[in-house]
Amino acid sequence: MVRKFDVSTSWLQTKELCRYYRRGPHEVRAVDRVNLYLERGEFLGIVGASGSGKSTMLNLMAGLDTPTSGRIEIDGTALSSLTRRELAAYRARRVGMVFQSFNLLAHQTALKNVELALYFNDTPARARRIRATEILERLGLGDRLDHVPADLSGGEQQRVAIARALVKGPEVLFADEPTGNLDQVNTEQIAELLAGLNRQGLTVVVATHDLDMARRYAHRTVRMDYGKLVATDSGRTDGEPGQ
Amino acid sequence: MTFKDLILISTGNLWRMKLRAFLTISGVVIAIAAFVSMLSFGAGNQRLIEQQFLELGLFSTMYVYPPDEEDVDDSLAAAVLDQQAVEALSAIPGVNLAYPLEAFSVTASLDDKQADTRAQALPGAAVQTKIFSQLVAGSAYTGDSAREALVTEDFLEEIGVDSADSALNKKLVVSVQVASIDSGLTRVLQSLGERVGERAGNFNRDSLRSMEYWQRAARQEMGGAMARFVNGYLNHRATVSDTLVIRGVLKGRHGHRLRIEPVIIPLATALRFNTGGFTGSPADLASAFGSGDFFAAVSDSTSKSYRRVTLDLDPHVLYQPVKDSVEARGFRTFSFAEQFDEIRRFFFYFDLALGLIGLIALTTASLGIVNTMVMSIVERTREIGVLKSLGADEREIRLLFLVESGAIGSIGAATGILTGWIITRIASAIAKAVMEDQGIEAVELFALPLWLVLIAFGFGLIVSLLAGFYPASRAARIDPVEALRND
Repeated sequence: MVRKFDVSTSWLQTKELCRYYRRGPHEVRAVDRVNLYLERGEFLGIVGASGSGKSTMLNLMAGLDTPTSGRIEIDGTALSSLTRRELAAYRARRVGMVFQSFNLLAHQTALKNVELALYFNDTPARARRIRATEILERLGLGDRLDHVPADLSGGEQQRVAIARALVKGPEVLFADEPTGNLDQVNTEQIAELLAGLNRQGLTVVVATHDLDMARRYAHRTVRMDYGKLVATDSGRTDGEPGQ
Repeated sequence: MTFKDLILISTGNLWRMKLRAFLTISGVVIAIAAFVSMLSFGAGNQRLIEQQFLELGLFSTMYVYPPDEEDVDDSLAAAVLDQQAVEALSAIPGVNLAYPLEAFSVTASLDDKQADTRAQALPGAAVQTKIFSQLVAGSAYTGDSAREALVTEDFLEEIGVDSADSALNKKLVVSVQVASIDSGLTRVLQSLGERVGERAGNFNRDSLRSMEYWQRAARQEMGGAMARFVNGYLNHRATVSDTLVIRGVLKGRHGHRLRIEPVIIPLATALRFNTGGFTGSPADLASAFGSGDFFAAVSDSTSKSYRRVTLDLDPHVLYQPVKDSVEARGFRTFSFAEQFDEIRRFFFYFDLALGLIGLIALTTASLGIVNTMVMSIVERTREIGVLKSLGADEREIRLLFLVESGAIGSIGAATGILTGWIITRIASAIAKAVMEDQGIEAVELFALPLWLVLIAFGFGLIVSLLAGFYPASRAARIDPVEALRND
């Protein structure tokens, strides 16, 4: 049965969202009047070529970037109405981010990298260590706790990055090209991991240029081109990724 | 993020770039060490003077002088510093003791050695004050009329006695040559007959009508009489001697601000040398003529006026009210406490100048901190972006870098204070060796009081925080999207 999503019950909603940059004399319309919604528990794929605006879209939804115009509403609250501290708290408690290049701190161990995400949501030091260890073990990295990123494979590094995003128990995970730097085997593993997390109830938004992967794993796929949302496809049926 | 987290992350970051952190901290260490060692020199000297003042009780000592002649209004009776005034001064609240300066020239003989020196008469109570109680051997004399004396180490050195202890209980023969007005007047009267006969022999009747003749004759006779008086006064002196037992030896006062005469005699005992008149020294004569008490001084000791009276004050009383009270009586004052205030003011400006030099060094070091922090931010831009994506707000990023520069300042200041202390210990050891080599009593020229430690540490910390403020603000403003795009 195809899962139905309804804009009226959405967790996140964008309205006429725009993000324009100035590059020299030119104006770059990275996101141009995008209307999008995201429902709780959904796996949303945002696909598009490089420069289509999908990363900017994720940054805007994660509260890392500020729109030029338009609105982003989370549970009915406009992100633009939040102060910078409230916006930081939103990132610290409600969303997790995963990047193409992992963005792990090279001088810290896997455990420390994961713990770092708990520094900004008032988690006590002892609980930080316990929770970081638990999540790494859950993702199969129990024997890699004291390894620095340089000693880990690309797939392991991305799993550490996912652990860092998940350790704070976010409501939504934004993943920007999470498999962009990985080989086929690791790509499959990470995609499976994200789908599995989604099946456990986590809302996942993945920006990728891999339309096939998006269609296989996402409930819904939106396509962006030159900053505009050009198409929406329904994806996998619930509980059966890869079909 | 707790403060402990901030400290741990910041020190961890410093540890990560050890060489750069070491070089930056070294700049702070050098600046703080220079600051501490320079101010330590000022503090040491100030403490040295303060110790001397305390040791001698100078903070509670005040000198009283007669008014300046220029300041005295002829229409009013000038204040006279006589026995009556001494009693009035001792009655001022806060004054423990008032005693006049009675100093005169003596010849002192010890064993077979003899020296022309100065003696000072002091009441027994005055000998108990701190100024005169710095004894290196023996004790104070037993009473005002005791046939005893105190001598200074300087006197023993002059007379050739090496050990203070060996001088104790030895007999000191003090001799004073006393001249009297009688001897001067006798000389004038003796010659009076000769002068009258001489002038009568040369008598010229016509001259009697000339006013010029009378004026010239009066001038010649007055001048002649004065010369004969002085001649008789100085050449017909009697020697008064007394044998006293040396009861104590006072500390030497080489180059000291406080003048103490080499021989100290009990007040009543000293009167024996004074009843016959002046000792005949030019200084005594000039003083007596100057004060206008020449005749009074010899005829009546109670109406004698003094050149100086010393007040020993209650140490718990402020000097200013006593000074005001004394000056209201028409006298001039000299207060060591007031002088110390001047000295302290001087040291304040001295320390300020030294501190400024240290601050210049610290400013240079702070540029090193700015440079290190800016470099650190450039290198850690992506890390800042990651922290922001994880939920760090601008305040936390700012604090992270401020704590890092504060850590550089704290470590640098603490090490700088220690280094400065080591430098002062080395300089002090060298200075003491040089002083001993020169035959000067070795003194400690440096001090590291708590206030200096706190100020040095505070300066190090504040300057480093100020230096870190700009880089920290810059780090806080970094756009996370740009920072993450960096790679």
